[in-house]
Amino acid sequence: MTAAKLGIRRFGALNGLGLVTLVKREASRGLKDYNYQLLGPAVTALLYLAVFRLALHNDETGQLLINFIAPGVIIFSACEKAYESAAGSFIFDKHERIIADMLMAPLTPIERLIGYVSADCLGGIAVGVVVAVVTLVFAELGAAHPWAIVAFGLLGMVFHALVGLLVGIWAEKWDQFSAIHTFLLVPLSFLSGVFYPIEALPGVFQAVMQWNPLYHAIAGFRYGMSGTEAGDPLLHLLVLAGVNLVLGAWAYRWFRSGYKLKP
Amino acid sequence: MPLRGTTANVPRNPYPPGLNPMLPLASRRYGAINWIGLATLYGKEVRRFWAVATQTVLAPLVTGLLFLAVFVLALGHRVDQIGGAPYVDFLVPGLIMMTIAQNAFANTSSSLMIAKVQGNIVDLLMPPLNALEMTIGIAGGGVTRGVVVGLTTGIAMMVFVPIDIAHPFFVMFHAVAASLLMALLGMLTGIWAEKFDHLAAITNFIVTPLSFLSGTFYSTTRLPELWQTIAHLNPFFYMIDGFRYGFIGHADAPIWTGVAVMLGVNAVLLLLVHRWFKRGYRLKA
Repeated sequence: MTAAKLGIRRFGALNGLGLVTLVKREASRGLKDYNYQLLGPAVTALLYLAVFRLALHNDETGQLLINFIAPGVIIFSACEKAYESAAGSFIFDKHERIIADMLMAPLTPIERLIGYVSADCLGGIAVGVVVAVVTLVFAELGAAHPWAIVAFGLLGMVFHALVGLLVGIWAEKWDQFSAIHTFLLVPLSFLSGVFYPIEALPGVFQAVMQWNPLYHAIAGFRYGMSGTEAGDPLLHLLVLAGVNLVLGAWAYRWFRSGYKLKP
Repeated sequence: MPLRGTTANVPRNPYPPGLNPMLPLASRRYGAINWIGLATLYGKEVRRFWAVATQTVLAPLVTGLLFLAVFVLALGHRVDQIGGAPYVDFLVPGLIMMTIAQNAFANTSSSLMIAKVQGNIVDLLMPPLNALEMTIGIAGGGVTRGVVVGLTTGIAMMVFVPIDIAHPFFVMFHAVAASLLMALLGMLTGIWAEKFDHLAAITNFIVTPLSFLSGTFYSTTRLPELWQTIAHLNPFFYMIDGFRYGFIGHADAPIWTGVAVMLGVNAVLLLLVHRWFKRGYRLKA
């Protein structure tokens, strides 16, 4: 058998095999160590709920608040995972100098973008499902609007995956990875209604929160689960889609120009 | 104006006293304790976290403030006064202690773990330091991190909520005793763990749950009786309870029992760490 003659790209507009390979590689590295990567977030989520359960009275209002918190904790855990796998994978590959494997593969910037984001979302979905099952210990979960659960879950994770990609491409050290996490993403989600309705905030902050994309993700996801409306679901959807488009375009540009990736 | 570098041209003896290479080598010239070695090790441990203060001091501070905001906004108006104090006053000492505990643990455990993984643990084992000096030097670094983080977090919280201190002695005692306890636990974990995964498991599945569930956010008197008994067997509970007594003057358990537990547990842990260093358990071939 003679080796096939080398030539130009022989597949069509989309390198399907390459894309699937990238997704498989990224998703499996994100879930390889399921002990820590799935059990860790599950234990943390359980802890949050246990603390609230124990601090509150064991009556109907207490249960209502737990039911309110649970969807927030689920989408928060899923999003955190999407950010961690996106950014972590890039920083690790850059440090180990195996980023070349990704740059050498015959993938276009758009294929890379889709590949990474979908793999990170798969990781997020796995964590989200595990956390949702675990929260059933304390909370009563519903599915009032399944489309909203899927849509806002995905949009929230895509947002985190894109931020993670940008951070991963830009960051040179793990410090920067954790700084964005601790000083930006966690405050944005904790303050925007994972644990309390934003009506609890003073008026000025309520207005500020309208500018926080995570508020829209959490409010929309909670609307999907419990059916309680906080703001217009359509508005949440539009804001998130818009922000994701901008971030996606940005990441695409960086992939195309090879910013911080190619010499 | 003096010329730059002129002072560098003045000849001077570059060697510290006792280290002149023109003199023959001699055996250990210090007394029972190698003070210079101990101070160097302690200084190295402190500089190690101070060099990345954004991550080691500022990050826990921000997380502590976030927890304060979240719990006050979510629970402030739903939880009754606990032990005669409003919920905020009850919560603040718990959060400060949680921050202290997690950071004292993180400092010593990561120091030993990273040194083992990167192989520069020999720099700790080769110098003329005995097991006691190693124990004190490294634990001292962890205690310093715990106290520094606790102090800065406390000051930051004071900006948002008024904090009164009823018994300064208990605040100081429990801050230092808890830092030491967690620093020693961190050392045991760092010596025992062979991979970062082991360390992460101890942190995620033991240290964080214990620091969350031992009365940081709620009074243990709210727990069912069986769980109350279990809580009172947990040293984490006494460090939070005693520390809180220093602030609000109310404790769930007898205050001197807490002091005795802290002293006893610290003594046992000190002995254990000292033994492990002496034997070279998981450190020497």
